[in-house]
Amino acid sequence: MSAQKVQAGATDGWQRGGAQAVRRRIVERLVNVACSIATVVVLFLLFSILWTLVTRGAAGLSLSTFLHSTAAPGSGGGLANAIVGSCEQTLLAALLGTPVGMLTGIYLSEFSHDGKIVSFVRFVSDMMLSVPSILVGLFVYLVVVEPAGHFSGMAGTLALAILFIPIVVRTTEDMLHLVPRAMREAAYALGAPGWRVIVSICLRAARGGIMTGILLALARISGETAPLLFTSLGNLNWSTNLNAPMASLPVTIYQYAGSAYDDWVQMAWTGALLITVAVLATNIFARWWLSRNGTASS
Amino acid sequence: MNTVLMDNRPAQAQMAPAIAIRNLDFWYGENHALRGISLDFPTRQVTGMIGPSGCGKSTLLRILNRMYDLYPGQRAMGEVLFDGRNILSPGIDVNVLRSRIGMVFQKPTPFPMSIYDNIAFGMRLHERLSRAEMDQRVENVLRRVALWGEVKDRLNASAAALSGGQQQRLCIARTIATRPEIILLDEPTSALDPISTARIEELLDELKQEFSIAIVTHNLQQAARCADRVAFFYMGELVEVDTADKMFTAPHEKRTQDYITGRFG
Repeated sequence: MSAQKVQAGATDGWQRGGAQAVRRRIVERLVNVACSIATVVVLFLLFSILWTLVTRGAAGLSLSTFLHSTAAPGSGGGLANAIVGSCEQTLLAALLGTPVGMLTGIYLSEFSHDGKIVSFVRFVSDMMLSVPSILVGLFVYLVVVEPAGHFSGMAGTLALAILFIPIVVRTTEDMLHLVPRAMREAAYALGAPGWRVIVSICLRAARGGIMTGILLALARISGETAPLLFTSLGNLNWSTNLNAPMASLPVTIYQYAGSAYDDWVQMAWTGALLITVAVLATNIFARWWLSRNGTASS
Repeated sequence: MNTVLMDNRPAQAQMAPAIAIRNLDFWYGENHALRGISLDFPTRQVTGMIGPSGCGKSTLLRILNRMYDLYPGQRAMGEVLFDGRNILSPGIDVNVLRSRIGMVFQKPTPFPMSIYDNIAFGMRLHERLSRAEMDQRVENVLRRVALWGEVKDRLNASAAALSGGQQQRLCIARTIATRPEIILLDEPTSALDPISTARIEELLDELKQEFSIAIVTHNLQQAARCADRVAFFYMGELVEVDTADKMFTAPHEKRTQDYITGRFG
C-alpha cells in the first residue's frame, strides 16, 4: 500500500490481501457447498414424500374413488364422502374466517393509534397462530360438541375457522403495512375519508398479497386432522348435513392407515395423494397469483 | 374551462392573499418544529419555500391541508386563514378543505388502478357527474398536463406502467381534476430526470393562471425559475420572504445570503 509497493510493479496490486484473501476464497467455497448440500437434502425429502405418495396412492385411484363413499373392508367403495366433507368444511371455514380475519387485520394495520388495544389483539392473534391444532379441537369439543350432545360438521368447520383466522389476520396486516405511506397520503390529500382510503386504495393495493394469504391458509387447514377428530369425528356414509358427523380426508386417512385391512390402507394412501395434490395446487396457484397481481407497492 | 372556474371566484380574491398565516406554531410531540410563522400566499402566484433539510418548509406545507391530522401527537397553533376561516379550527371539514387545497407529493403516487380511474377517484368523492361530463373532465385535465397525447389510447391501462415523469403529471392532473383553488407541491421534481422536471416547471407557469401555488423545493434554480415570491426557512423560523428576484440577488438577511450561496444547508 505504500508508495514503494506501488512502484514495485503492476502485478503487485493483485496480490493484495495475501493469505487473508486465500482464506476468504476457501470460506466462500465451503459456505457455498454447505448451502448446496442443505438444499439437496430438503429437495430430496420433498420429492421422496411425493414419490412415495404417487407410487402408493395412484394404485388405488380410480373413478370409483370419487363416486362411492367409504365402505366396509373388502367391499370396494371410494372416498366421495370424505372429499365432499373436506371441501364443505374447509370452504365454509374460509367463508367464515376471511371476513373476520381481514377486518381484524385492517383494524390492526389502520387503527394503530389505539396502541394498547392493538398490541393486545396482535399478541392474541399471534398466539393463536402457534396454538397446537389439537387444542383448538378440544376447545370446540367443549364449547360446541358437548353442549349439543353430538359431533357435527359445523363444529369441524368452526375449529378449522379458528385456525384459519389468525393466518389471514397476519397476512392482511402485513400486506397493508406494505402499502406506501405516500399512497395513503395522496388519497387523503384528495379529500377522501378514511374508510374510502382503506377500501379503494389500501385494500386494492394489497389485494394480491391478501388473496395469496387466504389461499395459503386454505391449503394449511385442508390438511388438518387433529381439530376434526373431536368435532366432526368422521362419517362412514355420505352426508352433507352440517348438524351431523361429517367425513373428511385427513380423518379418513388417520382411521384407515392404522387399520388391519389392506384395501383400507390402500385407500388411505390414495386419500393422502389427493390431499397433497390439492394443497400443492393451491400453493402453486397462490404463488402464481401473487406474481401476477404483484405486491402492495405494485 | 378556464373562464368557468375563474368566474366562480369573487373579484376581490385577486387582491387578498389566497392563504394568510398568522403566528403559526407547530409541534411534533415535544419537538417545536415551527415558530411564530406569518406568511401570505398571494392569489394566482407561485410561492416558493426554500431552506435546508429539517427547516420546517414541508411541515408548513402539510399544515395547509391539515395532513398532520393523520398523525397523533402533531399539533398546530395559530391562524391559517383561507376563504374567511381559520382552517386549524376543529369545525373545518378536512375532506372539503383538501378538495379545495390539493397536494402533489415528492414521489409520484399513482393509485393501483387505471389511468382514467386515477383521475376520476378524486372527482367521484366530491361531485356527482355523468359519464360524459366525467370523460370530458378527464380529457381536459390530461390535456392541461400535456399527457393526453401519450395516454389517450390506454386510459384503461394501469397507471403503474407510466414513466416517473408521466406519473407525476398524472398526479397533478388528478389534483386539478377536483378543482382546487390552491395547489401544494412538495418537492414535485426531486425524483424526476431533467427533461421531466422541465416539463413540470413549464406546467407550473401555465397552472398559475388559474391556481395559487405553494411549492417546496431543494433546488434553488427551480425556485428562481418558477416562483414569484420565495420564502426562506431556517430551523423552524421564517427568515425572510420577498420576490424571487430580490431573494436571489439582494437578500436582507445574512442567513439567506449564506444559504443561497451554498455556505450551508
